[in-house]
Amino acid sequence: MKRFVAVTLGILTAIGGFVDIGDLVANAEVGARFGFDLAWVVGVGVIGICVFAEMAGRVAAVSTRPVFDLVRERLGARAALANLLASSFVNFLTLAAEVAGIALALELASSVSYLLWIPFTSLAVWLVIWRVRFETMERIFGLAGLSLVAFAVGFWRLGPDWGSVFHSVSHPVVPSGEGHATYLFYAVSLFGAAMTPYEVFFFSSGAVEERWTTDDLNVNRANVLIGFPLGGILSLSIMGTTALVLLPRGITVDNLAQVALPTVLALGKLGLAFLLIGFFAATFGAALETALSSGYIISQFFGWQWGKMVRPVDAPRFHAVVLVSLVLGAMLVLTSVDPIKVTEYSLVLSALALPLTYFPILVIANDPDYMHGRTNGRVANALGSIFLIIVLVASAAAIPLMIVTKAGQ
Amino acid sequence: MSEHVGRAGRAGRLRRLDAGLSLLDRQILDRDGRLSGKVDDLELTPPEGDGSGPPVVTAILSGPGALARRLRGSVGAWLESVHSRLHPSAEPGPARIPFGVVKEIAATVGLSVRKDDLELSRFEDWTRDHIIGRIPGARHAPE
Repeated sequence: MKRFVAVTLGILTAIGGFVDIGDLVANAEVGARFGFDLAWVVGVGVIGICVFAEMAGRVAAVSTRPVFDLVRERLGARAALANLLASSFVNFLTLAAEVAGIALALELASSVSYLLWIPFTSLAVWLVIWRVRFETMERIFGLAGLSLVAFAVGFWRLGPDWGSVFHSVSHPVVPSGEGHATYLFYAVSLFGAAMTPYEVFFFSSGAVEERWTTDDLNVNRANVLIGFPLGGILSLSIMGTTALVLLPRGITVDNLAQVALPTVLALGKLGLAFLLIGFFAATFGAALETALSSGYIISQFFGWQWGKMVRPVDAPRFHAVVLVSLVLGAMLVLTSVDPIKVTEYSLVLSALALPLTYFPILVIANDPDYMHGRTNGRVANALGSIFLIIVLVASAAAIPLMIVTKAGQ
Repeated sequence: MSEHVGRAGRAGRLRRLDAGLSLLDRQILDRDGRLSGKVDDLELTPPEGDGSGPPVVTAILSGPGALARRLRGSVGAWLESVHSRLHPSAEPGPARIPFGVVKEIAATVGLSVRKDDLELSRFEDWTRDHIIGRIPGARHAPE
């Protein structure tokens, strides 16, 4: 059991990246519009985030320095500030959407409008950050988020023709009725969702919070290799269920109830119960991840004391940033702006900022001064360089594609 | 910033360092290992005597006042104005850490004093005294 809970940091990080409120809906939407023709992007994204999260976790374990600390050291003040502004903006938009996402999960369960839940959900997120120990937090929300495995069970119970599923995954085409630009736009969004920078900020800071040392490099690898592929499988399962049920009927997805629909058809009430718990835990976990990340990166840029391992009075600016982000985020979604649209835009913006985060990780992971003989091997460097190129391409293409396709419409 | 720092701390161990690479943007830790800011800039002074020869690093400049001057441009100007508005004195300079208290220059910069004794903890003190310290539970470690 102890071995198993040691990987909850990776699970929680991946849930926040792959199945937060924006991705829950985006994955379902992609399945309903493109079937299995974009599934390969999730696979590519999982490998990419595994490569870089492994490096970030290793750097954190060996040097006890989290990612954004090193971003500043390697990029210098000016470029790091640009990254800080872009990443904080993405963090903030995602946090706002997650606070509404928890409320949407509660609305689904209670039929009480999500707007009424928002003050309570944002307060609950803050209370957890204020009072709950880091490990306890990650175990509760990481493990509860696993009930989204109901999507995978649902997909299996829907009885897909596995042969044709494998064929369409391995021979992707742009479906008729969808333009190439739209297809690429969704590809960049899915890739951006898999590689969102707050995952490595949270993962590496969490490793420092848990006081990982060089002895924990196996724990790091286990977290990465279990957490992120699991996130990818959940994401693919959602896509699969809507591809089987909604695509043939021409139904498109724009809310959480439609995301659940195919799985509830397959599994009934019990399936719904699991999904509701999973929606709540995943959005709550993503809210914790983004709220903490905003505190982490701003504190790490300025060199302030940060983290939940010290008393709040010893890290006052860190807690102030978290508190202000939550209040502003709640205010943003209380304007009744569509939270799912908010995350869709923030995903594209996050694709834009990716290289500024992943380049310094690759550089530091090769620096013997920090890594004391634990620098990257050939495989990590080869994969890291390939993915850095993919990240650069996605980053350059993000905004033009968004404009050309009017954000995928 | 290609000046070389000849001396690492009081110990007097002579070592050549590139100040731009090994000092700027590094994390500062106080005597007790607490995170105490970044090396945002360096104060260079002409050497004593006839003033010839390379300048000497006499202080680390840290905090928004120092960062603003280094960034320049509109972002720097904005940061500078925030800094001077929030600062109690009329024309605040950047916060100085005399180079004499620097104990160690490695992946991080270690000081031989406590962070509370440095002038750069003022904003932190204010946040603690007026916001975070007033919330119940602020003095308990998370459990």
